[in-house]
Amino acid sequence: MIAVQGLTKVYGHRTALDAVSFEVPKGEIFGFVGPNGAGKTTTLRILAALLEPTAGRAFVDGADVMRQPDLVHERLGYMPDFFGVYDQLTATEYLDFYAACYRIPRARRTKIAADLLELVGLADRRDQSVDTLSRGLKQRLCLARALVHDPAVLLLDEPASGLDPRARVEMREILKELQRMGKTIVISSHILPELTELCTMIGIIDQGRMRATGPVQEVIRELTSGRRLRIMVMGRRDEALAILKALPSIRTVDMINGAIEAQYEGDDAMAASILQALTAAGISVSGFSQLEGGLEDAFLKATSEDVG
Amino acid sequence: MNRVAVALWNPIVAKEYRSRMRTWRSPVAMTVYILLLGGLGWAIFSAMSAAARNVFNGSPANYGQALFLSLVIFQMVLLAFITPALTAGAISSERERQTIDLLFVTKLPSFSILWGKLLASMSFVFLLLLLSVPIFSLVFLFGGIELDQVLAAFLVTAVAALTLGVIGIACSTAFRRTLPATVAAYGASFILLAGSLLYGLLFPTSIDPNATAAPAPPAVSYISPLLPLVTIGTSLPVTWYGIGPGFGSGGGGGMMCSGTPGGGQSCVPLNASGKGVASPIYRNPPQPTGTTIPSGLFAGWQYWQATITLQLLISLAALVLSAILIPPTRRPPWARRTRAAAGGS
Repeated sequence: MIAVQGLTKVYGHRTALDAVSFEVPKGEIFGFVGPNGAGKTTTLRILAALLEPTAGRAFVDGADVMRQPDLVHERLGYMPDFFGVYDQLTATEYLDFYAACYRIPRARRTKIAADLLELVGLADRRDQSVDTLSRGLKQRLCLARALVHDPAVLLLDEPASGLDPRARVEMREILKELQRMGKTIVISSHILPELTELCTMIGIIDQGRMRATGPVQEVIRELTSGRRLRIMVMGRRDEALAILKALPSIRTVDMINGAIEAQYEGDDAMAASILQALTAAGISVSGFSQLEGGLEDAFLKATSEDVG
Repeated sequence: MNRVAVALWNPIVAKEYRSRMRTWRSPVAMTVYILLLGGLGWAIFSAMSAAARNVFNGSPANYGQALFLSLVIFQMVLLAFITPALTAGAISSERERQTIDLLFVTKLPSFSILWGKLLASMSFVFLLLLLSVPIFSLVFLFGGIELDQVLAAFLVTAVAALTLGVIGIACSTAFRRTLPATVAAYGASFILLAGSLLYGLLFPTSIDPNATAAPAPPAVSYISPLLPLVTIGTSLPVTWYGIGPGFGSGGGGGMMCSGTPGGGQSCVPLNASGKGVASPIYRNPPQPTGTTIPSGLFAGWQYWQATITLQLLISLAALVLSAILIPPTRRPPWARRTRAAAGGS
């Protein structure tokens, strides 16, 4: 649905984007993570055909952002990180205006505006002047605006920035609803735990370079060293530790809060063979679970590497 | 709606009307405008009434002409102040408010954004012009002014306002911030109104005694709407401006001509300092007739026709410049594939 190939953007002597490539299949929620100035907004602006790349190509639902900006605009909804609203317009009029800008017939606009206000939880504010809405409500309204033409792709640049915790939760719920509606969503954000919960894919960008991209757990697994197991045994703890340490796939073994935490190299089959080795030795295993690494760890690992 | 109608009437216009007319500023601006114009009309009317009571120094037709001339010039000056203020922030304020990207990602072409902003701003200016019609109708109480003169004056004023509006939009597109855009728009407005007239003063057309046609001010000065407004108001040939030696005429000399009551032309030889050195020499060169431009690039045209033509050309150039500057990506049209050819890859 979204394909970015070797995207480069140079401002004078500064390289904002350095051959960034990634793909987002249909229906995925792609979390775009990176420190400030990493190139997230630049990438999203290029994808929205608002900025011309120095090199590389990008496609949104098959439309080339450089050569077919009109098609790109038809197929995506864009929510910038900073945006303003017009004075003297009600929420309904605001959405009606943008729907008209997308050439949606007048007869359909009223229903679209009402439905979208309902979706983002602003139905009771339909007649309120948009410049008097709080930041959180403006964010929701802007999200509704990005949806007026029912785009297949949504580009959301820091949709939760500046929102209080409650507003963030509400925004997350709206995004989940959009995911259920089949939208492909790209979100740039600093709030990593929310991305882990919400996103199916992730891209970590730093200093204009894509450090890692792929399904969330895969990226986390790649970047955090090995996979971890949490094992609870009934007695014979020292014996269990000795067995684990002797296995070649085990890298480290620790006792944490009465449970064994073992870091190992390998896939799920390897985990099964570790369990088998313990039970074969007669150890009674009462708990055996995989511990996933956090996105924060992956992010820190990816962004702390020397650029070179 | 067909494509032309869609291009001309777009959501920006409706949104701008809605936003503009819901504020207190618009009715206040209209009221102040009418009060200023009406106040000037009333002051001139009172002064003339007082003068007419004391001494008879002219026919009512002259009063009508003087009133009309004062009003059209004052209206032009007022609009020269109002129009840049309305248009210079049209695009730059969208940038400052961070709303322009939201427009660029819609299906509205960049030119439609430009056109919508221009149409919305100019509609307000034309509304002000329309509001002034009742004040101008007072002129007909005195006579001396025909309807075609009023229409021509309004046409010149409207086109001049349009030109100032398009220049304002161009400045708003070229500058990222509203303040420098406004300063530039007022600068351009001053050049258009006064700068072009100043050119005629500094570099007037020198008189050629052997010329077969009467001299006319330099063509650059026709850019100013003030020149045609005066010629429309007075219905007299231009002999008082832009002809004779100027600062650019080197060693001086030449002649300064002016109309005589009999309709002839009085030409005075001038010395290097620009002062007449002899008593007037009555010649019989070809005389300008009415408000027609007697010679030069626009020979045979009315002054107002030349002004409108030049201003529309300036407007077109400013509009093209704006259309080039406004898109977020400067992709030339030929580098874009057509919608029909773009199937998706």
